[in-house]
Amino acid sequence: MSEALTSAPLPRERERVAEGRVRARAYSDPYLAGTALGLVLLASFALAGRGLGASGAFTTLAAKVTNSPDLHQSSWLLLEIAGVVIGGFASALLARRLRFTAVKASRATIAFGGGAVMGLGAVLARGCTSGLALTGGALLSVGSWLFMIAAFIGGYVLAPLLRRAWR
Amino acid sequence: MIALAIGIAFGFCLERAGLGDSRKLSGQFYFTDFTVLKVMFSAIVTAALGAFWLARLGVLDLAGVYVPETYLLPQLAGGLLFGAGFVAAGLCPGTSCVAAASGRGDGLMVVLGMFAGVAVTGLAFAPLRHFYESTARGPLTFPQLLHVPYGVVVFAVVALALATFAAAERWERRA
Amino acid sequence: MRRALAIVAATGGVLALLAGSPYPLDVQRLATAVAREDDHVTAVELAAWLRGRKPGLRIIDLRTPAEFNDFHLPRAENVAIDALPSTPFRSDETIVLVSAAGGHAAQGWVFLQALGHRNVYFLRGGVQEWTEALKQPAIGRYFGGARRRDGC
Repeated sequence: MSEALTSAPLPRERERVAEGRVRARAYSDPYLAGTALGLVLLASFALAGRGLGASGAFTTLAAKVTNSPDLHQSSWLLLEIAGVVIGGFASALLARRLRFTAVKASRATIAFGGGAVMGLGAVLARGCTSGLALTGGALLSVGSWLFMIAAFIGGYVLAPLLRRAWR
Repeated sequence: MIALAIGIAFGFCLERAGLGDSRKLSGQFYFTDFTVLKVMFSAIVTAALGAFWLARLGVLDLAGVYVPETYLLPQLAGGLLFGAGFVAAGLCPGTSCVAAASGRGDGLMVVLGMFAGVAVTGLAFAPLRHFYESTARGPLTFPQLLHVPYGVVVFAVVALALATFAAAERWERRA
Repeated sequence: MRRALAIVAATGGVLALLAGSPYPLDVQRLATAVAREDDHVTAVELAAWLRGRKPGLRIIDLRTPAEFNDFHLPRAENVAIDALPSTPFRSDETIVLVSAAGGHAAQGWVFLQALGHRNVYFLRGGVQEWTEALKQPAIGRYFGGARRRDGC
């Protein structure tokens, strides 16, 4: 396994771990989760007049830190991404999937590098999978669909070279 | 605020779908796990159908919803780069936050990497500016581009999604 | 459950084919806007917007290219009236439609309203009234303001 469990089990959990792994809830059916996600997106249209986003929160923070006027800023997205963190945490907690996992150095480097390249791509495209593929996709935006298709192509092209990293 | 509430629901759904797991996400690009495709496309179809029908019934003011703007070349190039980074990281900006929130170390690395990438791009923006602002088309949608009614494009998206899902199911069964 | 979702989606999609536009046309709302004169701007008002560099202002000239090249308003864009429905406009833009005498522009106003745009106006009197108003700038001060003193 490329990830090692380094956190010590809590006293109550030790007995359960002795019997076998702690039973985490299975992931939801992807179509159901996708539909739910679509409803969240729809609610955003109706309540906020806009869709979701993620990279925009990163550009907002980076713009504040580096004083770049060119990066897109949105306080709405900062609040939204704070919610994403809370929501992700809550879901993992309730599903007993909350686990502090350490990372191998090689995986950490690739993850960091991949993140950096995504950052560049997201700035150029003015968005990411949340803001363009999901939101723009649902609103039939030409550029958003173009981005989404290009992203899948980019991923599939590079995948064979990274096969060893994912083993 | 509404932004916070929507974000919480967003993050919750992403984690529920398993998209906080980089190994699961990368499976998309090795044809072993089509969760990314299923979740994304289901969400797009749901929201597109929902937006169309709510607008058609007069409940939603579709013209008042902000449509992302089209920049043909930057979004093509940005997409290719983004996809390459995505298959390496196994997470996207939103899901990296979910992964980090679930305690996953590689999620945190992707978050940091993204921040670094965005910051460096912002600092080195000058040579990119001309490309960045090229081929702007405004909030261009497919109904406008193809001169077909909105509902026709919605139908096409739904049909494409259902066909893709059928193909994905068949492929997964083979794997 | 998956089958149910698929059936709902397929039904929604097929019905969307036949459903018409998602931008409903509320004729009464439009008629009221016309009666209240919220549908147009005068040459003087438009001049003020241009001078004040109103943000998001887009002036769309619906006349022929020949007429456009001959004379057009500052910052105007030339769009054929049958290309107007597929022209992308942002919701934060203020659109002012201009034609020779205002006829086509008024029709274009209805089209854009039907597509859901709210921030649309047409130039009353078109280019004709614009060129007249420019010749007599003093008229601008006469909007129910101070009367001209006789004999001056």
